Amino acid sequence: MASTALTPTAAPVRNWIPVIILWQVLIGIGLAVAALSLPAQPDAAAWNPILLWGASLLLAAGAIASLYAAFALWRRRSVGRVAAVLVDYLVAVLGGLLGLHLLGVFLGLNALANTFGAGLPWLLVVFLGYLINAAGDRFDGTQREVLFRRAGDLVMAAGFIAFLFFIDTLGGLVWLAGRLAAEPLATGILVVVIGCALIIRLAWGRPVAEALRASHMQDELLSGYIFLSPNLLGFLLFFAGPLILSLYISTTTNVPGGGDAFVGLDNYIRVVEFTVQPLAAPEQPAREVFDVSRYSESFRAFGYVVGVRSPRFWVALRNTLQFVLLAVPLSVIPALVLATVLNSKLPGMSIYRAIYFIPSIAAVVGIALVWRWMYDSTIGWINYFVTLGTQAVGWNDPRIQWLNLPSTALLAVVIMSAWQTTGFNSVLFLAGLQNVPGELYEAATVDGAGTVAKFFRITLPLLAPTTFFVVSTTIIQALQVFEQVYILTNPPGSPADSTLTLVLYLYQEGFNLFDFGFASAVAWVLFAVIFAFTLVQFQRNRQSSVYEN
Amino acid sequence: MNRISMQRFMSYPLVLSLALAACAPAATPAPTDVPAEPTQAPQPTEAPAATEAPAATEAPAATEASAVALRWRTRPDNKEEADVYAGISDQLAAKLGLELAYEPGGTETSSYQDQLITEIEGGTAPDVFWIPGTDVARFATGGYILNLTETAGDFDQGAFYPGPMFHLSFNPETGESGAASGALWGLPRDVSTFGLYLNLDLLEEAGADDPRELAAAGNWTWESFADVTAKVAALGGDKFGYGASNWWGPYGVWVNAAGGSFFTADRSSCAMNTPEAKTGVEFMQTLYGNPNWAVPYGDDTEAAFRAGNLAMFQNGRWATPGVRTVEFNYDVVDLPNGPAGTPGNWLFWGAYVVNAKTEHPAEAWALVQALTEADVQAQVSASGANIPSRVSQDALDAFLGFTPPDNAQAFLNGIADAAKPTAEGPLWAGNWPQVDQVYGAGISAVMSGERSVDDFVATICDEAAPAFTK
Repeated sequence: MASTALTPTAAPVRNWIPVIILWQVLIGIGLAVAALSLPAQPDAAAWNPILLWGASLLLAAGAIASLYAAFALWRRRSVGRVAAVLVDYLVAVLGGLLGLHLLGVFLGLNALANTFGAGLPWLLVVFLGYLINAAGDRFDGTQREVLFRRAGDLVMAAGFIAFLFFIDTLGGLVWLAGRLAAEPLATGILVVVIGCALIIRLAWGRPVAEALRASHMQDELLSGYIFLSPNLLGFLLFFAGPLILSLYISTTTNVPGGGDAFVGLDNYIRVVEFTVQPLAAPEQPAREVFDVSRYSESFRAFGYVVGVRSPRFWVALRNTLQFVLLAVPLSVIPALVLATVLNSKLPGMSIYRAIYFIPSIAAVVGIALVWRWMYDSTIGWINYFVTLGTQAVGWNDPRIQWLNLPSTALLAVVIMSAWQTTGFNSVLFLAGLQNVPGELYEAATVDGAGTVAKFFRITLPLLAPTTFFVVSTTIIQALQVFEQVYILTNPPGSPADSTLTLVLYLYQEGFNLFDFGFASAVAWVLFAVIFAFTLVQFQRNRQSSVYEN
Repeated sequence: MNRISMQRFMSYPLVLSLALAACAPAATPAPTDVPAEPTQAPQPTEAPAATEAPAATEAPAATEASAVALRWRTRPDNKEEADVYAGISDQLAAKLGLELAYEPGGTETSSYQDQLITEIEGGTAPDVFWIPGTDVARFATGGYILNLTETAGDFDQGAFYPGPMFHLSFNPETGESGAASGALWGLPRDVSTFGLYLNLDLLEEAGADDPRELAAAGNWTWESFADVTAKVAALGGDKFGYGASNWWGPYGVWVNAAGGSFFTADRSSCAMNTPEAKTGVEFMQTLYGNPNWAVPYGDDTEAAFRAGNLAMFQNGRWATPGVRTVEFNYDVVDLPNGPAGTPGNWLFWGAYVVNAKTEHPAEAWALVQALTEADVQAQVSASGANIPSRVSQDALDAFLGFTPPDNAQAFLNGIADAAKPTAEGPLWAGNWPQVDQVYGAGISAVMSGERSVDDFVATICDEAAPAFTK
C-alpha cells in the first residue's frame, strides 16, 4: 500500500507537540522511578522474585518507550506519536485498574446489583419517556410533534433524576470523595490516568498527525489497534493473564501464617517424583524400604516396589485416561450412527434432532443430580427397571451399586457423559453429512455399491474433517471432566478415589487443601497431556486427510 | 464546543461516577428478614443427664462504639434456622450497640470453608464466622483467625463443654491447652452427637426387639444391635436394618466404640492400625457385607429412611427437622455400646471465630460472647437442630422441649460424660482434609469389598503418613 503523508497543519496546533513531549518525559521518569523503587519496598523481600522483577522490567520498558516517544516527537518523527499513544493507553488502562483497586471499588462490585436494583424501575420510566418522545414521529412537523417531544423529554428527565436519587448517587459520590481523600496514591494515579487520556486525545487527533506528517497507513494502523484493544486487553487480562499467573503460582508454595514462597520447579517435581527400591521379600512392608512420610506405595513387581510422592495424581491420571478411552468412543460412534439416521428423509426427523440435542444444552449440575438419583442402588429408577427385567426373565437381581463400587462408579460417569455429549456430536456429524455431495452416492449406486460400501468408502472418508474435529474436542472435554464427577459422586471422587479425575484432583488440592502452588503445577501437567493428545491427532490427521490431495 | 460535544463531555464523567458510586458499599448492613418471635422454651420432659449445668456467664458489656458495623456468618441447617439467626442478629445489634449484618452460609459440603478462606484472602470475609471444629487448626495456622487470648482477658472457659474448649484453647507453639495456654481461637456455637433414628413400624414388622427397651435395660450392645439389624434384613427386598452416610463421623463411631481412635494420644500420627481400630472396621464391614444389613455404603440413607425402608438411621441431631415429616412412627435411641463399653459417639462442635483481618477485634469478640450466651443458645436450640455448647439448664431445657422425637434425651446421653464421647477436633500436627481423604478412600474400598480389613490396617497409616508431616 502506498503511504501518503497528511498535509501539514497550522502553527498553533503544532504547539501541542511540546506538551505531549513534556508529558512523555514526565511519564518516563515516573515509570523509571517506580521500576527502581519497587524492589526497594519494605515488604519486597516477601514477594516472589519473578513477579517482582517482572513488574520492574515492565515498568522499565514503559519508561524507555515513553522517553523514546518524547525523543522521536522532539525530532518530529511520526513514530513518536504512535509510541506516545500506546504507552499512554497502557498506562491509563493499567493505572486505572490499580487506582480503582486501591480505592476498593472492585470490592464494592457485589453491591452493584443491589444498588442499581433499587433504581431499575425508574429506568422503565425513562424508557416510557423515550417511547413518548418517539411517538412524536407520527406527527412530523406539527405542533403535536413538539408536544410529544417535550413531554417525552420531561418524563425521561424525571425518571432519570428519580433513578439517580434511588441508587443514592450522592451518597456514593461522597463515599468516593472520602476514599480519594484517604488514598492519596490512588488519587495521584487517577490524575495520571486522566492526563494520559487527554494526551491520547491530543496525540491521536488529526492536527498532530498532520503536523508530524504521519502516513495514512500509520494512522489506520494506530486506529486499528486502538479499536482492537478492548478485545486484546480482555484477552490479556482474563485469559493470558490468569495463565501466566497460574504459571507463577505453580512455582510457589504456601507459608504457614500466610503468604507464599518461591520454590522453583519443586511442585512439578512433587507431581512426578517417584522412587524404586528392591524388596528383600515379596511381602516386605514399604515402610522398611523407603520413607513413607514422603512416598506412598504405588505398585510392586519383579522384586521391586515403586513409591510415588503424589499417589492421588497417578490415580487421577489413570482414571482420566480410562474415562477418555471409554467416553470418547461412546460419545462419537453412537453420534455418527445417530447422525446418519437423522440425515435420512424420514418424517419427524427435525423433532428428533432437537430432542437429541437437548442434553447438551441442559445444565450439567441439573443433569448430574437427576442421574445421581437414577443411579441410587436402593431407590433409583435404573435399578428399579433392572429388577423388573430380571424378575420377568427369572434371573437373579444384580442390584448394581452404580456409584458405590469402584468397579462401576467410573462407568456410571461415562454413561452419563456420553449421553450428554452424543446429541451435540451428532449435530456436528449431521452438518458434515449434509456437505457430502449427493452425486457421489448416485455414482456409487450406478457402480453397484451397497449401503455399507457407500458408508465406508464415501461417507466416512469425506467426514474425516468433521470426525477429526469431533474426536479432538471430545477428547479435550473428556480430559477436563469435572462437573459430572463432582456432582454425581459423594464425596467427589469416591468410592475409593475410583472417579478421581485430574481436574477434580487439582480442584481438591487447590480449594480443599489450599495448596494452590501444587494445584497450578498439576493444571500445567494436565495442559501438557491435552497438548500431547491434540498434537498427535493433528499429526495423524495430516497424514490421513482425504482433502489434502 | 457545540452542544453535542458538551453532552458527550458531561456524559463520560457522569457514567463513570455512577458506576463508581454504585460500587460504594451499602451505608448500613443489608436488611435481613425479620423472623417470627423465637419459640418459647417449653418445660423439659426429663432432666438432662449431661454434665452439671452452671449458671450462664454475664452478658458482655455493650461497646460504646455504636457506629461499628460487623458482619457475621453461620452455616444454618435450614431456612428456619437462618431466620432464627437473623432475629438473634437484630436482638444483639440493639443489645451491643453495633450495626450487625447476618449472612447465612451454604449448608452443603466443605465449600463453605473453602469460600470463606477465599474471602478472607480477598479481604471480603465477615468479621465473625462459624467454622467446624476440625478446621480450627487450618484457619489458625493459616493466619485466617485471631488468637483472642489478650482480647478475652480472664474469660471463664469453664462454662462450655471441656472437649471443644480443649481444642479451642490449644496453643500449637507450646502444645498446651486451657485458660493459661496463651491461645483462644473462639467459642463453640453448639454441640451435637449421633443417635439412631428408629422406624418403629418397620422394627415391629420385622419382629425385632425395641432398641429403646434394650437400651433402658442396659442390653443395647453391638450383639443386640446386630440381632435387630439381621431381623430387619430378613424382610428382604428393599428393607434395610442400618444406614449411615459415608463420611468420617459414622465409621469413626465403630472405631471409637471398639476402643480405637483416629489418632495417637498426642494427635500427631495415625492410629487406625491398632487392633481396636481393626475390630471397629471389621464390625462395620460385617454390617455392609451382609445382604440388606446396611444401605450400601455411599447411597442416600436419609432417602431410604424417609421412604420407610430403613429401620435404624444413624445421624446427628441436625437431621431431626427433616425426619419429623416422616409418615411412620419413629423415635431415637442411643448408639449401642461396643467392646470398649461405650457407644463411641462423637461430640461434634463448631466455633465462632474472629477474622484475622477484622478492623474491630474488641467488638467482634463481644459479638462472639453474645452469640454463645445461654439465652441465644436457647433460641437456636428451640429450633431443634442443635444442642447448646454452653452447659446451661435454660438452654438444655429448650432443647429437650423440642419434640418429637420423644427421646431427645438420647442425644444428651451421647454427649454425657458417662458415654465418654470423643470431641471432634482439629489436627495441629497434620492436615485434616488430607487425612480425611486417605481414611475415607480406604474405608470406602473396604466397605465395597475391594480391599480387605487386614490390608487396610496394615497400610492405612503408611498412606496417611504424608498428611502428618505438613
